[in-house]
Amino acid sequence: MSSRLSTISNLWKKQDFLLNFVCLIIAAGFLLLAVSNLSWAGDFLTIDSLFMMAVCLLLAGVFLFSPALWAYENGLFKRLLDVDDPSAAAPAEPIHFAGSTKLFLSVLGALLGLTLVEVFLAYVEVGLTIMLTILIGLSLIKAVLILAYFMHLRYERLSLILTLVPMLVICICLFFIFFPDGFRVRNLRPY
Amino acid sequence: MSTVEARAENLIASDWNGGTLPYHVGHKKLGMWLFIVSDALTFTALLMGYSYVRMSSAEWPTPFKFSPSIVFSTVMTLCLLASSFTMVMAVSASARRDKRAVRRWIGGTMLGGLAFLGLHIYEWLHLIDEGLTPFALPAEWVQHWPNASPLFGASFFAITGLHMFHVLTGVLYLGFVALRIKRATHEDVEISGLYWHFVDLVWMFVFPLIYLMSVDFGGGH
Repeated sequence: MSSRLSTISNLWKKQDFLLNFVCLIIAAGFLLLAVSNLSWAGDFLTIDSLFMMAVCLLLAGVFLFSPALWAYENGLFKRLLDVDDPSAAAPAEPIHFAGSTKLFLSVLGALLGLTLVEVFLAYVEVGLTIMLTILIGLSLIKAVLILAYFMHLRYERLSLILTLVPMLVICICLFFIFFPDGFRVRNLRPY
Repeated sequence: MSTVEARAENLIASDWNGGTLPYHVGHKKLGMWLFIVSDALTFTALLMGYSYVRMSSAEWPTPFKFSPSIVFSTVMTLCLLASSFTMVMAVSASARRDKRAVRRWIGGTMLGGLAFLGLHIYEWLHLIDEGLTPFALPAEWVQHWPNASPLFGASFFAITGLHMFHVLTGVLYLGFVALRIKRATHEDVEISGLYWHFVDLVWMFVFPLIYLMSVDFGGGH
């Protein structure tokens, strides 16, 4: 009797396997059709080609439904998306993360405000030098805010800040060597 | 050993005498910081190249009308800033060891990134439709700005294209972290956060220099 049960359960497994296999092959075929449609259709953004695309994707979805249901019933999704880790021991020490939600919200508000000021400035016709200075100045302030609070650099060791920031500033300043040549080229132009 | 001596010894020995991590950050995080500095220099080089070409040409097109270009790019900036905020919230949730919340906040960050990408691709298609190529301006623009350098397309597509690539990679990286959140440590979430904030930081400079300096006032600049 038990051998019959085991043969039946084996048959179920074989059925499952065959069904999943055939469904996946057919779904892959429809996905292939959908992708080929991208290259076969002359102009992709027409009603005809979009309809073809939608039908292919829909049919691929239909044939993917059965394997997906099988995977769900056999716990494959749980294994992939599982969040709780029962094997991990209860962690003892809390992780220190300085900064409250209020602080981050106010930094976000400052960043948004500065962005809107910059956009507004773009429509006020000031001289080029003033515009560039203000734009770069505001962008620098935004960059420092992001670096200090969002990237948490303010709460790191001073040695890290002193290693990273001067290196960046010096290299950026070295780039300015090219600008006198730009002025020379501009003054050489006949027009 | 007196307390003063002990404290002095502690200060000197704290980071550099071995037995502890340099800068008191983990190796992976320090590696990400160094990568960020090097990548920032890459973008600086590109932006400096663009600045050089622009300031040395007689004329430069200023084609970005308020709608759709400036509106779209401002919305894109706000999307990226909001996604930076959600990323900070994700790191904060990870410090509380609330993994479900981390996944939700990272999902929000990815949404912001995808919105940015979608709007930017629309912007690109709009410009390509007008006839902009990397090495030539559309005929309409040549009429409007006759002495303009043809390199507007090259600089625009190169800089924004590289940035878009970074955003896409960031979204994929964040997706990977969110998927594997069970096995990811707090440090992993922090590191992915650093990368995402870097992407936002670069946009803070790209947006004014490329978009706001090329605003179309309607009558030509």
